[in-house]
Amino acid sequence: MQKVLNREIKELINAYPEVGRVLEEYGIGCVPCSVGSCLLKDVVGIHNLDPQKEATLMYRIEKAIYPDRKISEPVVDMTKKTAPKKITYSPPVKKLVDEHVLIKRLLALIPSIVEFTESSLKVDKDLILGCVDFIRTYADKYHHMKEEDILFKYVDANAEIIQVMFKDHDTGRGYVRQTVEGAEKNNKTQVKENLLAYRELLTQHIKKEDEILYPWIDRQLSTTQVGEMFRKCNEADASVGDELPKKYEKFIVELEEKFLQEVTK
Amino acid sequence: MSGCPGSRTIDFSEKTNQEGSETGKRPSQLRQWPIQMHLVSPMAPYFQGKDILLAADCTAFAFGEFHKDYLKGKSIAIACPKLDSDQEIYVEKIKSLIDDAKINTLSVIIMQVPCCFGLAQIAKDGAEKASRKIPIKQIVIGLEGNILSEEWI
Repeated sequence: MQKVLNREIKELINAYPEVGRVLEEYGIGCVPCSVGSCLLKDVVGIHNLDPQKEATLMYRIEKAIYPDRKISEPVVDMTKKTAPKKITYSPPVKKLVDEHVLIKRLLALIPSIVEFTESSLKVDKDLILGCVDFIRTYADKYHHMKEEDILFKYVDANAEIIQVMFKDHDTGRGYVRQTVEGAEKNNKTQVKENLLAYRELLTQHIKKEDEILYPWIDRQLSTTQVGEMFRKCNEADASVGDELPKKYEKFIVELEEKFLQEVTK
Repeated sequence: MSGCPGSRTIDFSEKTNQEGSETGKRPSQLRQWPIQMHLVSPMAPYFQGKDILLAADCTAFAFGEFHKDYLKGKSIAIACPKLDSDQEIYVEKIKSLIDDAKINTLSVIIMQVPCCFGLAQIAKDGAEKASRKIPIKQIVIGLEGNILSEEWI
């Protein structure tokens, strides 16, 4: 089993699809992951399951890989059932979670923007480039840079999950470049495909961060590091000024008003 | 049961579930003097840029691992929100610790009795008056020395 623990999760799921189904049951969403290079032991560890749940999960994974092997089932004491864990964040990490909310509001509008683009005679360049400006400035510069330059520095940058996050950021930047090109060439299909791909990528990316990565990093931070990170994030925010987040919140509110009116017309 | 939970008589001397070890020396993690909130000065060098523990008086006696788990690496101020007088001075000192001493974090450790939450309120009031913002953590210790909660507030 030790060998299995050190295998990449995607490779394991491909070889034993039942492993993917078991992980899904435990709310561990590795199956749709675009990279899947995390090791099984890290995947299990990072989710911080209670010991009983983890023992049962490992038993079921082992059974899925070695169905003929005699493995004793862990004794689960139902009286020790633990309450579902409430995720709490340290103040600097909570700030990053709160920033996700504005990004998710744009993601929620993308299907309406795509529909509007398809039904228009030509691509509304101002609209698309406005969205791109939000993504590049608010999501990428203001938010992702704090992750990359501050938060991720507190953990091993070579950890697979961090590499997956970097890759997601790069993939997202690629979709944005393609969206801009589509808008410049008035290519509706290119705009549509890349905006929808960005939406899908970022939805999963934010879910992974809010539910798995951020709590995992928070568990490793000392009190001193939390204070230090809080200060660095505040300094980063101060360097761009108070107006930037306000400007992009206003942009989203106006976009919501526009597309809410489109829907109710 | 009636009366103030903070001063109600409870005897748990017969407690049998005593896990842990009595072997080995536990050095003090205290690195400063004085420690009482009225006696400390926010300008003291041991507060500058540090992580601060604001402890309700009873917590160090109730929680067996106080030095190792909470005091280690921090500077401390102690107070009793039930018995101490002139607590508005405490609010001003918290403000000064944040703004002038530029402390890194503030951890407030209190007992579970309702009056003890007054100390957390003093910390919040001081933080609200301060122009700098810092992370504040609240740790609540049960009467029998167990940690009931630990969260950023």
